Amino acid sequence: MMTQPLQSATYELPDALEANEFYQRQGWTDGLPIVPPTEEQVRACLDAAGLSPGEVIGIETVRQRPLVAEKVAINAVMAGCLPAYMPVVVAVLRAMCEPEFNLHGSTASTGGSAPFIVVNGPIRTTIGMNATHNVLGNGSRANATIGRAIRLVLLNVLGCIPGQLDRATLGHPGKFTFCIAEDEEDSPWVPLAQERGIPAGVSAVTVLAGESPRQLMNEWTQDPEELAATVAAEIRHNMLTYSVWPGNYALIVPKQLRDIFAAAGWQKQDIREYVYRYARVRRREWATVGKKNIVDRGGGPEQEFAALRTPDDLLVIAAGGPAGGFAAIVPPWLGSRSRAVTKAIVTV
Amino acid sequence: MSIRVLDPTYAASGPETATTAPLRSLVGRTVALLDNSKLNVREFLDHVEELLRTRYGVRQVVRLKKPDASRPAPPEVFARMTGCDAVISAVGD
Repeated sequence: MMTQPLQSATYELPDALEANEFYQRQGWTDGLPIVPPTEEQVRACLDAAGLSPGEVIGIETVRQRPLVAEKVAINAVMAGCLPAYMPVVVAVLRAMCEPEFNLHGSTASTGGSAPFIVVNGPIRTTIGMNATHNVLGNGSRANATIGRAIRLVLLNVLGCIPGQLDRATLGHPGKFTFCIAEDEEDSPWVPLAQERGIPAGVSAVTVLAGESPRQLMNEWTQDPEELAATVAAEIRHNMLTYSVWPGNYALIVPKQLRDIFAAAGWQKQDIREYVYRYARVRRREWATVGKKNIVDRGGGPEQEFAALRTPDDLLVIAAGGPAGGFAAIVPPWLGSRSRAVTKAIVTV
Repeated sequence: MSIRVLDPTYAASGPETATTAPLRSLVGRTVALLDNSKLNVREFLDHVEELLRTRYGVRQVVRLKKPDASRPAPPEVFARMTGCDAVISAVGD
């Protein structure tokens, strides 16, 4: 088979340091240094995902802009990805191009969300993803660079440049990278991707347009209902101070709290049903957070809002270090204007 | 030894790059104003409309509105832009 030539313009630079400075000057990075994308590395990424350079991975439908494999691979190399990460990057972008993700709206909005990525299945261990200590922070090359590759594609291919197409007022640190694996080995629960229709043993990504994580703590109970009450309270607070619209919330449950839920026989579904029932606010409660001006609007002070449209809106993920009674929620960008999408990862 | 590196940006090709020539004057023209449905945009566009009519001699202003700020304008809104000489897409907030 004849190898397709790459189509991108090339630049000759003295060395890798100079290349980095050149890319910084062009505005082609997120501000951090990049790995200079040479043809050899870009081809290795394409090969690892079984892609030809001209293959269209997806289309951003509002501006009809294609995500061409060659450009995705260039940005993945720049982000620091190893070729073995490329199938994950591709699956994330395919998920984001599904209409329900609302790629244009969620990346352009003043609300400033970031694609929150959860990886399930055997590829997590193959490529060394982190699902435990400091899972929402730094620590693993795969977590860090897969999320970063998505950001660089948004910047360089879709033009999501702050102040231009990206109109985020604040943004959040997850816009550098926001990618975790689920701790399937140490969890009694069904992995997220399987709950969302992916067969066991198949690797998959789930992507959500998420706001910054909100950490909570409850180390003073062994009662699963009390833990779920803390979660529901955090979500209610987000509804009052940020956005009341219902949609996909993610809940990350580390081991210490997982063990309490598991000892009581609680599955993910039990948590979802509790949160569906109790993560609700009434319009009058806005008066307690400085928003009394909207108490009498709409259906009046007693109008009720639920955080979830159905219990299934809550994505429960087992991840985090072994010690500490913490958990975190990731709120949706704007209710159900963007919905979580799960895609199988195609490996060669 | 130097290195050769690749351009990471979208390479525009085909119809996306085709643009019409800019208008030399707005006198006698029809201009559409697209409201993105956010707070305060209506008041802002009221003022823009007044300026277009009184200061720039615009003949007709077509007021359009997106039903949802976070989604693209639906086809029927785009259809009403047909025949307009220019469109101002305003972002209120």
